[in-house]
Amino acid sequence: MRAAFLAVNGAVIAFLLTPVAIVLFFAVNPEPFIAFPPTGVSFRWFEKFLTSRDFMAAFGLSLVLGAATVAIAGTLGTAAALAIARGGLPGRRTLTAIFLSPIVLPAILTGFALFQLAMVLGLGRTVWILLAGHCVIAVPYVLRTVLAVLAHSDPALEEAARGLGATPAVAFREVTLPLIRPGVIAGALFAFIVSFDQFPVSLFLVSPGNETLPIAMFNYLRFDSDGTIAAASTVSILLAVLLVLGIERTIGLQEYARL
Amino acid sequence: MAENGGVTLEGVTKTFPGGTRAVDAVSLAIAEGEFFSLLGPSGCGKTTTLRMIAGFEAPDAGRIRVRGADITALPPEKRNMGMVFQNYALFPHRTVAENVAFGLRMRNVPKADIAARVRQALAMVRLEGLEDRRPAQLSGGQQQRVALARAIVVNPTVLLCDEPLGALDKKLRQAMQFELKELHRRLGLTLVYVTHDQEEALTMSDRIAVMRAGRIAQLGTPREIYDRPTSRFVADFIGDTNILDGEPREGGLAMPGGWVSPVASLPPGVRAIALRPEQVRLTAAGGGIVDATVEEANFLGDSMLLKLGLPAGVALLARVPRDADPALTTPGSRAGVSWRPEDPVPLADA
Repeated sequence: MRAAFLAVNGAVIAFLLTPVAIVLFFAVNPEPFIAFPPTGVSFRWFEKFLTSRDFMAAFGLSLVLGAATVAIAGTLGTAAALAIARGGLPGRRTLTAIFLSPIVLPAILTGFALFQLAMVLGLGRTVWILLAGHCVIAVPYVLRTVLAVLAHSDPALEEAARGLGATPAVAFREVTLPLIRPGVIAGALFAFIVSFDQFPVSLFLVSPGNETLPIAMFNYLRFDSDGTIAAASTVSILLAVLLVLGIERTIGLQEYARL
Repeated sequence: MAENGGVTLEGVTKTFPGGTRAVDAVSLAIAEGEFFSLLGPSGCGKTTTLRMIAGFEAPDAGRIRVRGADITALPPEKRNMGMVFQNYALFPHRTVAENVAFGLRMRNVPKADIAARVRQALAMVRLEGLEDRRPAQLSGGQQQRVALARAIVVNPTVLLCDEPLGALDKKLRQAMQFELKELHRRLGLTLVYVTHDQEEALTMSDRIAVMRAGRIAQLGTPREIYDRPTSRFVADFIGDTNILDGEPREGGLAMPGGWVSPVASLPPGVRAIALRPEQVRLTAAGGGIVDATVEEANFLGDSMLLKLGLPAGVALLARVPRDADPALTTPGSRAGVSWRPEDPVPLADA
């Protein structure tokens, strides 16, 4: 029984990690095509990726977009979650469903819709539309995680603060925010990853010269299939790991993951 | 009574969305320094009334005054009241000392004074030495004390308690009842206490407002409420009681089965009386007002509670001393029952 349990778990972990391993494998393989067995270990693809102006511009844009998405979607999602959980609004279920719909809807539809909207409004495909698209996709993640912590925190705590002399703003800063912080941080992390990793929405909204990393990688892959993409992926994976570790170190993700 | 500085409610009404009238034109005057209880079953409006005094709910109509000043429109943070919540509502991310200090910080009390006052408040609820614990590391009784210390440390004009002892076990609850009462006496606070536990209200309060369906069913001292309930609801809600329905006759109420209960003064039109089990006396069969059959006898420790069968299948509870004559208290035996004519309370709304 125990052996079967371990075997199943091992298989699941292997299944999840194999793609990562394959990416790493090809990133350090010096051959200019996907080949097996490897002929050695080299960092030439990393060098090519890190010195490519196109890739670096795309990488920079993705980082900035990710950070901006965290700020905007984090604020909007948190505010929406507070309004839904505590605002006493009519039709809260409907509101929640509307806010969460971008998760349910195929992202390609959201991208196409935003593209058409931008065209109809004559806005063109600017970075701002791209940012808006990323925020639309990211808000539901923040909303979900913040709603989850709010469901476990007692509304009487805010009343207790008010009764002790705190104005609504002070009660929020002193009591509500510290208590929902785990949800906000988890949501922000999701928001960053969703934005940094975003492909279908970006596909419709990027313009030449304003490409995000996934789009740049896709475009590169159409003509070349050397290890640069594997190196770019490895850098992305490293970034994600560092981000999670950083939050874990400073704030402690473990504790806050208990939603 | 209220002019000297208590809490006054004038026609306070609250209807929730969906149309339930939680509180219906409640008027009452709580004197300064009084221990005042709002008592009633769940849904009677007692908590909503308390929350309106605290400022967490706004009344649709009516005025609330404290020491004569109209506070109806004031937000909770400007009312200077202390509130003890049902589940304590301690800030989980703060230590005991920080919880207690919160209200003082909000009032911009200097740091050094805060430390001293927190220490003093924690000493008052006998929690010295736990300053640095988190609420989750405390027992229910200790959390209760922290909540109390946090509420009184700011010297509130009124202390509001929403079923503060509801989550404690019976022994602890009793101990806290004594402590709360002592604290009330020591601080001379006006205290508004919400409970559904009639025993708790009777033991602790100076006065009680029994509420039902958003209205005050009866307002009075514990003795008045217990001894002279004015309605079937109050008689039934407060303590064990017998309610006997009959037809008015000269000198009493004619009961089904052909006997008459003496009633000292029966207002015209009243067809029911309330009688406490401890007012029923047992005598030898044939020696009382009417004969009854002992159906069940429960030993309560300090006394016995008998379930008696009166003529026409009417049941009657009687509380008798534990050393009462076994010939009269053994199930199956026959006994005469009696009470003084002044004991039954006429119930007008029956």
